[in-house]
Amino acid sequence: MNVLRVSKWTIAAFVLPCLIVYVGLVFIPVLVSMYSGLLDWNGIGTSKFVGLDNFKTLLFDDPVFWPSVRRTLMFAVFSMAEIPVALFVAILLNRFVKKPNFFVSAYFMPVILSVVIIGQLWKTIYNPAAMGGMLNQVLEQIGLSSWTHSWLTEPNIAMYSLYFVALWQYLGYHTLIQFTGIQNISADIYEAAKIDGAEGLKADWYITFPMNIPIFKISIVLAFIGSLQAFDMVMVMTAGGPAHATDVISTHMYNMSFLSMKYGYGSSIATFLVALCLLATVVINFIFNRLERKYT
Amino acid sequence: MIKQSNLIKLVLAGVLAASLTACGSGNNGGNNANSGGETDAGKNNAATTNNGGTNAPAEEPKKENVTITFQNIYPDPTDPKNGMLKKIVADYEKANPHVKIELDSLNTDQQKLKLKTQAASKEVPDITIVNPAAQMQPFVEANLFAPLNDMVEQNGLKDTFQEGILDWYTFDNNLYALPDGNNIGLVYYNKELFEQGGVKVPTTFEEMVDVVKALKAKGIQPMAIGEKDSWTGSFLFMNVLLRTNGPGFLKDVAAGTKTFEDPAFVEAVEAFQNLVQAGAFQEGATSFDYNAGENLFKTGKAAMYYMGSWATGGIETSSVNGKVGVFKFPTVGGKGNPNEFMLAPGSAFAISANSKHLQETKDFLNYFMLNFPKEAFAVKGAVGLAQKVEGDFKAAGYSDMAMEVLGLFKEVQGGDLSFDNTMNPGTSQGHLTSIQNLFVQKKDSAEVAKEHQAAFESNK
Repeated sequence: MNVLRVSKWTIAAFVLPCLIVYVGLVFIPVLVSMYSGLLDWNGIGTSKFVGLDNFKTLLFDDPVFWPSVRRTLMFAVFSMAEIPVALFVAILLNRFVKKPNFFVSAYFMPVILSVVIIGQLWKTIYNPAAMGGMLNQVLEQIGLSSWTHSWLTEPNIAMYSLYFVALWQYLGYHTLIQFTGIQNISADIYEAAKIDGAEGLKADWYITFPMNIPIFKISIVLAFIGSLQAFDMVMVMTAGGPAHATDVISTHMYNMSFLSMKYGYGSSIATFLVALCLLATVVINFIFNRLERKYT
Repeated sequence: MIKQSNLIKLVLAGVLAASLTACGSGNNGGNNANSGGETDAGKNNAATTNNGGTNAPAEEPKKENVTITFQNIYPDPTDPKNGMLKKIVADYEKANPHVKIELDSLNTDQQKLKLKTQAASKEVPDITIVNPAAQMQPFVEANLFAPLNDMVEQNGLKDTFQEGILDWYTFDNNLYALPDGNNIGLVYYNKELFEQGGVKVPTTFEEMVDVVKALKAKGIQPMAIGEKDSWTGSFLFMNVLLRTNGPGFLKDVAAGTKTFEDPAFVEAVEAFQNLVQAGAFQEGATSFDYNAGENLFKTGKAAMYYMGSWATGGIETSSVNGKVGVFKFPTVGGKGNPNEFMLAPGSAFAISANSKHLQETKDFLNYFMLNFPKEAFAVKGAVGLAQKVEGDFKAAGYSDMAMEVLGLFKEVQGGDLSFDNTMNPGTSQGHLTSIQNLFVQKKDSAEVAKEHQAAFESNK
């Protein structure tokens, strides 16, 4: 085990600061929050221990909760479905563009911008035509007036408008990750495949895709966890409105903890969210471990 | 395994860091105070030594240095209130060199959140901001605020306040906060757009709906609202309810003598929906926040705007100044007294019960509030203060609209507080969502009433 040729104490000493910070800033707050989930507490005054009452209400009596879970999971599904697209874009860039770095950086731009800016930008794009909304104006100009909507305020559409912005923003991010992965695949393999008669898409299917699975996994995990925690963009653009139509788990948690002042109840939602994240990470890892074993 | 040379490096680095911080506090020394520590004697000494040569107070017997944290909601340097705040604080610091006031200026929403977080760990700043009645009750019940009964009597401060306004901040005969404003809900209208639309100021709610339709037909946006911040729609709705029921509806509900399924409530929802369905509000209203909504009116893109009278100052400094008039919210279905208004006692200054310098803080707040009306008058921010203002508004250059608003104040014959100042936060959120929903879809009014009742019962 002693590959590094340093004593275990030294290793411990170097790991310790990080470990302490991690435990102090992540682990302990999670535990505290789980405990708060068992309280009937407004966040200020005295609290009452109510056991699992909050969870009972949450799972069986909260009309907002399950729809918000559904929207969160949809968010995750869309984000994950985006990654093959990102991979495809990365493959195209790698193969057909002479200096792909410029394009990768260009696609990456929206990720650098703060979510608040993105949110305000898209709010303006989605505005009604009379208020200068670009999307609706374009639709009107090309004669598709019947397609115009108030994209952020019609309950049936608003959530999809939000998904789209998130997909738009993170396409560049995942493209960059996949692109880096592809560049790490040795050119020898492609040359060998070429001799065997595999080129273009065929080579991608049998070489790029399997060899890139670990990188693919990273993207999937990032996309999934990221969308479970989606909060800022929703807050900026709709704040969960109109009438909960765009509430996701985290905004529901925020509304409950800080606006309705049910801190205990909000904490129980937080606990649920943590559990969901852990579960998802385990499941995704399991699936990909099998995939990796199959292909490598 | 630390070698000696490394140890020396470490010590040197430490010294360097320490000297940097010392210099930092030395530079801050202009107001002769230790910037951070209040009780930390060591730091205190260090800072004083550092400053000693330059600006030790000449004669005066040296009082202990005191730092008071003043959390406030005037962060915007272009807002006259921000300058006014800084001026009063500077004046006080000049007269009391041992006191340093540290400002923590935040946006309203940020401040609300920060205070709640601080309250959870019992670390309320010396002076903070709270909202009246139901919104401050949890804080009072948690014993976070110091009673101000004795302080308000000093220097005749109590008499500067308007009759009855302090009641909203009093619990069990103890006064816990001093308000910065007292406002009423009213309708601002753009005279120019009214002329273009060929309409007159409505005297009944039904006329108002007709005005909306007439303006709409001429292609003029009838009303503006920032319904992403859902309290805006609620404030308007509550005024409708004030007409159909008269004051005190929510109190009756809380006392159990009425329910939300009361005919007066259903009627109010019905009337409100008529207004929305007539197309009164801009398309996509629920994605406009408060400022964006108000800006529609301030840029002359909407003909009417229902808001608290605190909006007066902002409208005065906008491009529609001079074209704007105000009217009282009209009767609904022939019911109600137009002289009953939605009352909005302002956000208020409270003092932490755990303040390390309780007496000094009280003294400062006393001084602050005594000077508040005078300074606010000077920066033209004296419309809708909670205190009596001396001075001739007209001569001081206040606009006609401001004079109209001031005139309306004299006609107030009571009214109601907003929903979230009356009901507990859980019920309020249910209400706000329910009303916001009316902006995006037509609903059965009885259904809306039922939603309210359900929210009320699950949050008792």
